[in-house]
Amino acid sequence: MARINPEFTDELKKYGAFDPNACYNCGNCTAVCTLSDEENSFPRKMVRYSVLGLESEIETSLDPWLCYYCGECSMTCPREADPGELMMSLRRWLIAKYDWTGLSGLLYKSLTASVAAFVLLAAIVVWFGAYEHFNLANMMHYGHIFEFAAISLVLLVILLPNIIHMWWLTVMKPKVKAPLSAYFKAIGELIVHMFTQKRTLGCDDNQFRWFEHFILVLGYLSLLFTTVVLGWFETQSMFIIVLGYVESAVIFVVTFDFVRRRIQKDKEISKHSQPSDWFFVIWLFLMGLTAFVVRLFIDIDILDANVWMYQVQLIILVQWALIIVPFGKWTHFLYRSFAMYFHRIIELSAEN
Amino acid sequence: MKKKIGVYICHCGGNISDYVDVERVRKSVEGDEGVFLAKTTMFACADSNQKQMVEDIKDQGLDGVVVASCSPKLHLLTFRAVTERGGLNKYNYVHANIREQVSWAHSDDKEGATEKAIKIVKAAVAKVRHAESLDPIEVKSTKAVAVIGAGVAGMRAAIELAEAGSDVYLIEREFFVGGRVSQWDDLTLTEESGKELVTRLYDSVMGQKNVTLFTGAEVVENSGSVGNFELKVKVTPRHFKLQCNGNELQKAIDVCPVEVPDEFNFNITTRKAIFHNFPSEYPQLPAIDIKNCTRCGECEKVCSAVDFSQKTEYLNLKVGSILLATGFDPYEPPKGEFGYGEIDNVVTFPQFKRIIHYCDDKLIYRGKEIKNIAYIYCVGSRQVDGPNKYCSRYCCTSNIHAAITVKKKYKGIHNFHFNRGIRTYGKAEVWYDESSRLGDIYLQSFEHDPPVFEKQGDKTIVKIKDVLTSDRELEVAADLVVLVTGMVPRKDNSIGNLLKIPRGRDNFFNEIHMKLRPVETVIDGVTIAGASQGPKNISESMNSALSAATKSFSLINSGELQLEPTVAKVNEETCEWCGKCDEACPYSAFEKIKVNEKFIAKVNAAVCKGCGMCLPVCPTNALQLIGLSDEDVESMIDALIPNY
Repeated sequence: MARINPEFTDELKKYGAFDPNACYNCGNCTAVCTLSDEENSFPRKMVRYSVLGLESEIETSLDPWLCYYCGECSMTCPREADPGELMMSLRRWLIAKYDWTGLSGLLYKSLTASVAAFVLLAAIVVWFGAYEHFNLANMMHYGHIFEFAAISLVLLVILLPNIIHMWWLTVMKPKVKAPLSAYFKAIGELIVHMFTQKRTLGCDDNQFRWFEHFILVLGYLSLLFTTVVLGWFETQSMFIIVLGYVESAVIFVVTFDFVRRRIQKDKEISKHSQPSDWFFVIWLFLMGLTAFVVRLFIDIDILDANVWMYQVQLIILVQWALIIVPFGKWTHFLYRSFAMYFHRIIELSAEN
Repeated sequence: MKKKIGVYICHCGGNISDYVDVERVRKSVEGDEGVFLAKTTMFACADSNQKQMVEDIKDQGLDGVVVASCSPKLHLLTFRAVTERGGLNKYNYVHANIREQVSWAHSDDKEGATEKAIKIVKAAVAKVRHAESLDPIEVKSTKAVAVIGAGVAGMRAAIELAEAGSDVYLIEREFFVGGRVSQWDDLTLTEESGKELVTRLYDSVMGQKNVTLFTGAEVVENSGSVGNFELKVKVTPRHFKLQCNGNELQKAIDVCPVEVPDEFNFNITTRKAIFHNFPSEYPQLPAIDIKNCTRCGECEKVCSAVDFSQKTEYLNLKVGSILLATGFDPYEPPKGEFGYGEIDNVVTFPQFKRIIHYCDDKLIYRGKEIKNIAYIYCVGSRQVDGPNKYCSRYCCTSNIHAAITVKKKYKGIHNFHFNRGIRTYGKAEVWYDESSRLGDIYLQSFEHDPPVFEKQGDKTIVKIKDVLTSDRELEVAADLVVLVTGMVPRKDNSIGNLLKIPRGRDNFFNEIHMKLRPVETVIDGVTIAGASQGPKNISESMNSALSAATKSFSLINSGELQLEPTVAKVNEETCEWCGKCDEACPYSAFEKIKVNEKFIAKVNAAVCKGCGMCLPVCPTNALQLIGLSDEDVESMIDALIPNY
């Protein structure tokens, strides 16, 4: 027995949902969805749960992660209830739900809080620059240490507990009896989806978007590796230098296209942009661009005279690593792949 | 006996001729006694054939016509008209049905079909041989109409009739006009309130010189028939003089010791024995409910307008037609249906409307503020076990409209609609849309799985297996449960019984034909309008009121009526008045009269429908049906079974 909570949609609207109450349960959205099947029927079920405010049903469901937002449901909806954007909002809501710190929810719901966080971090980095008397070598040294520290802390302190929380909600709470072997068998699913987002290809008309996304992920992850492990800014190796240029260029070219689409709103998926969406694409673009320019400044030997450029790059990097990665849209990358992993585990358990 | 009969046998473009050998049929009747010409035709109803028939009648001097074609329901009137155009009286035409009764029914047996067709056509020829020219019965009619019920339908009909030039007697049983609409505030479709609509109609009625309004009035006797009904009307007095001082009236109300449930508010409040249906009372003159009055006399002491000397009056009215607009009752759930009468926060939809009327900035019922409202739809309508199988049509729309009203009027309201499928048909769909966009929640179950209630503290927990959420059990903690009740026929059917108006399976007044004759009843001269005929919204009631007014007016307009002459006839010689015909007659067309020291039966030709029910019960065979005499029928039987 579940009690109806009509105020839930008001809460959901803060995460971007448009008008789920307009739904009159025709089911067109589920009928046109190419990813929905008999076992995992969405988005109508999620729309209905949202309208009724059945929070515990939603938080234990993986359905929002199984949607890759082609937007056909929103285009077909006779009531313009925008089920596609509702699924997107549910993903944001779930991210907030999984996050033990509660900061994700705060940043999603309040633009003021987000801006304040960005400004605060920028101020700290500037203060740090001043503290180091804008000594480039020192700044770059600590910058490099920061990268290591941030990656490991964010992963261990925030993201790992959140993933465990997600697992508890979606696998343990619904009392899925998963044998240990299922966790091993399903691991391939995790790797494949994390690096390829293969499921996107199941959406109609999404091939180009998938390709862009695919090379962006590759570019992003390899740039991360090139900078942090291979030390792109310090290296003399021609191969690594060129590799870094290519990777950062891939990032800002692809994200530039993403920003363009969000401005032009030519596809259903880019029609609705929440602040978190803008932060994500713009900061990723800036990350690629500033890294590219910093290395360029090094190569033409003007960085020493233009320390401010590295300062800017460091601000972007810190904001990215401490806001967007742990609490923002970046987490989609993790939750989506883990959702596919848990989903496969649940499937395997059902087969037993 | 006819000597020049014309017989036309129709192919119906193959519908008949594919199974019936029409040429053989033609040949078989060609030489029959009196048959002058026999033809086959591709389409008897076609213009060219109709012209040919008219020419044949004129040029050949035909004295009887038979067309063997489709059902008489389709083309009897067509060929009667053709006969008249040829200059013959239309009763010299006989129709033979060889399509529905022959070719379609026996498409598997062509030989048998042809033989049956031959017999049917021969029987028609036999009948037409004895046919006589008949003239319609002419009846004088009184140019006045009694409209019974001064709700919105009755008032609208009265205005229309008066404007057309008829005298109108508008007879209302209550002391105030407006009926159910005066009890509604907000209405759907237009912004006007019920009171405003009633005011407009009442002002317009009062502006018509030839409308006479009787309130507190009931028809108690009825005699006569179409064109000349005589009604006896009982008028109960208000016990108030026409001039009434407002202050004195208030004092009189205050001192009145009697308190009874106020039916105007569907019994959620009480009123005194002196009352007025504030705020929409017309005429604006209070009344004393004499049934509940104790005659203590307190009011007389403080109010000079009180007048206990007024007496009940009886009036005799003569009218040409009667228009019934007696309305409906809201369904009253029996105690225990969805907790009604048992759980204190369960109310009916009409009561809910009155509660909204009395609450300004907070919705309060029985001292508690209401936030969560559960609406249970189809209560008393679409019943599985009960008699009300029909949909009451107005409830989904009105209730959703009311739900929007409360949501906008009060803060923090949540509406939960427990429905069996929403039917906000036509333009009303916009409210369904608006309500769901405002966040109203719709939950649906089928008739065998209704929502169930459980009282928990001051809340009622309503549970449902929601088909829209794959039959999941869901629950709502409601502060108020509204049973969305439908319409039922008036409990008091005295006027229906008096006029012998048949009622349909749904128990509402029944029309002759739902589509083709929607406002006439089998009682000639009596029309029906509004929700007395079945659940209707205001617009639909207006439509039926206007068409009933037009139909009633057409009966009285010329001052003369032409009726079918095919009625029963009494043989005064052989009739011995036994009363059996009177018992058998469904229309009360018989009257016992004395002629030459002998009691005999007399047929009121304006009432008789020529149904023939009286014929077989007459022990002395004193009754004949004009146009279908024993001779006619026997000759047809002889033609149908020639070797018997």
